[in-house]
Amino acid sequence: MILSLVFFTFSFVFYLVTSLLYIGHWIFKKKWIGQTATAMAFVALLSTTMILIARAGESGHAPFSNLWESMMLFVWATNAGYLILEYKHKFRAIGAFVMGLEFIAMISASLLPYRFKSAEPLNPALQNKWHWLMDVLRPFGLEKYAIGWLDFHVFTTFIGYAGFAISFGLSLIYLLKERSEANGTKGGIMGAFPEARIIDELSYRAIAWGFPFLATGIVSGAVWANYAWGSYWSWDPKETWSLITWFIYAAYLHARVTRGWRGKRAAYISVAGFLAVIFLYWGVSFVLPGLHAYAS
Amino acid sequence: MQDKVKEGGGRPWYRVAGSKIWYFFNSLKLTLFVLITLAVVSIFGTVVEQNLPVEEYLQKYGEKWTSFILTARLHDMYHSYWFLALLAMLALNIIVCTFERFPPKWKALLNHKSEKFDARLIEKFANHHTFDVAASPEAVKERVVNAFRKKKYDIITSGGGGEFRLYAWKGRIGRLGSDFTHISLLLILLGAIVGSFAGYKDFRAVFVGGEMSVPKADFRLKLDKFWIDYYDSGQIKQYNSLLTVIEDGKEVMKKQIWVNEPLYYKGIRFYQSSYGTAWNRVSEAEIAVQTKGRTEHGEPMLVKWETLTPLAGTKYSVKLIGYAGDFAYDEGTNQVFSKSAESNNPAIHLEIYDGDKLISTPWLFLKYPGIFPAIPNADEDLVFTGYKGIMYSGISINKDPGTNIVWAGSIVMGFGFILAFFVYHRRVWVVVRESGRSTEVKLGGMINKNNLVFEKELKEIVESISSEKARG
Repeated sequence: MILSLVFFTFSFVFYLVTSLLYIGHWIFKKKWIGQTATAMAFVALLSTTMILIARAGESGHAPFSNLWESMMLFVWATNAGYLILEYKHKFRAIGAFVMGLEFIAMISASLLPYRFKSAEPLNPALQNKWHWLMDVLRPFGLEKYAIGWLDFHVFTTFIGYAGFAISFGLSLIYLLKERSEANGTKGGIMGAFPEARIIDELSYRAIAWGFPFLATGIVSGAVWANYAWGSYWSWDPKETWSLITWFIYAAYLHARVTRGWRGKRAAYISVAGFLAVIFLYWGVSFVLPGLHAYAS
Repeated sequence: MQDKVKEGGGRPWYRVAGSKIWYFFNSLKLTLFVLITLAVVSIFGTVVEQNLPVEEYLQKYGEKWTSFILTARLHDMYHSYWFLALLAMLALNIIVCTFERFPPKWKALLNHKSEKFDARLIEKFANHHTFDVAASPEAVKERVVNAFRKKKYDIITSGGGGEFRLYAWKGRIGRLGSDFTHISLLLILLGAIVGSFAGYKDFRAVFVGGEMSVPKADFRLKLDKFWIDYYDSGQIKQYNSLLTVIEDGKEVMKKQIWVNEPLYYKGIRFYQSSYGTAWNRVSEAEIAVQTKGRTEHGEPMLVKWETLTPLAGTKYSVKLIGYAGDFAYDEGTNQVFSKSAESNNPAIHLEIYDGDKLISTPWLFLKYPGIFPAIPNADEDLVFTGYKGIMYSGISINKDPGTNIVWAGSIVMGFGFILAFFVYHRRVWVVVRESGRSTEVKLGGMINKNNLVFEKELKEIVESISSEKARG
């Protein structure tokens, strides 16, 4: 029970330091600050991984079952996704926004009341393991580590959220950068960022990751619900909001690919989409009742 | 007949209308409109709580808004005709767009090699490079071929001598990703529709030891056992039922089911969905004899369900024939029933015999002993002092022949996503020309998405062509 919260405290500090370093790199444009920031982001990722591992040990199941655990998964996925993006495209200043968002997520997680943080055993409706996987693992005596629909459903959904979060950060940068480019300002505070058209493309790439994963999360949830309870879809608020979010990003992709909506318009849809994600994730839990309400 | 033919090029009116409808649904503007509309209206359904009794809407929203909610069917929005119409429009939109776009795309992808290409177009591409290499055309040609092979492109070459052309491509199949994804959505929808029309849902509460019938099937189920597992902390871990399938009088299968682990037999799934104490049956009741007008009674005796039991110390025997957990009486039909599943007002129904003669069939109430005399014209009275309930397990039944279609759809969707988002169709054209003592290379191309990756890749290719090292 304690260990995961200890790692959380460390991670909290790491994310604070990482965000500050990225912001420092953005403002002062010093390479060594950026390199340190990347190194710290790795440390933070490692520490978040330890939170998840420790929590899995404490609760006896994959750590995806309450709001706090899911926040840790969100932070983990966003961090990992960002580091892949940074490694592939070598744009560091973006980290100021993405890591800033992660630090905000850490603050929100720390503010949760204890009952959303504690390690609880799974309730009957959530206990699911894949038989075929248990059969595969049984000869090695590892069948209790088999995963199931819950793990797959939550994990894919959160990769989706992470993609949208990164795209949101990039869209904000785009909107700022676009304005400074329109004003003809070179250098200055926005000078550390790559050209607007590249940010736009990256933001699209992040959605291109988020969208299929969210869809996989939704479909796996429906397939699981049908397997376990006999109905695919019941218009539970969470289900409905996931669909709303999915519709928004589907509109984004169709508008972009077929009608050439890029730049500002695309950025606004991405921001709207992420607001829907926030409501889907937090709003539904606290405001609307239903099966998925973490805060019941 | 003449009047049915209108202007549209002499075509009959239904073909004109048909093609108008077709082109209405072949529109991406429609797609965007429907997607955004669905997103916005779906919000209403989460704000206005669904399927409440009318009084609650009146209380929450007042008369005016309630009548609006009811007219617009916002209280059951996701099943309203207009919401379903929006979904149907999206489905039609997908179908028409697939029909309209897929065949030409397929053809173009198959015949892409025979496309004529004008070398002057190379410079029109967003991604193009022109550069000189200090080597012979033959050597440059080899480098170009190697560079594209190394990046896993397929290539065809043409020309020779002073001018050499190359066309390189990869990831053609990625173009089909969107079609696969759209078809998968239709498959999932089809599966859901097949399931809701060809299948059924039902529910049975079955007592431990009892049997349940299965609608439209030639087998029955017996509930051998129901139990609840707890964690050490006292929280509920799992609800379990042990079920036996009985077919032609024989036990053919036994399975323990729990939440998340249904029994599957002959296309029908049985789910653990609830449990409780029976409201219309007990396994045994305690009955005591008391003298009318007194409050103290004798030692209670156990009476088993539907078993004739002599009452010690009296000339009577009783048989327990009925139970109601929450006693209620319907004057219209003259019937007793339990008005809820809770044991709010437990009552038992007895047959009382004097020897072989049935003399009375009273209801006795646990909470109101002696309210009605059990035996008319006698000094003794009977009181109901306790009972042992019986557990039932609530089993949901679902026959869903569409499940396999939905599964197939999900797999196609995964495949479609991989193609659509992670396989990019790249095409590059190269012209190598002798120009004096060096060789000029013109290279340009396009990618269907993810231009950043392509930019980088082309730069790498250009580098490996111009540098000596990349030769091997």
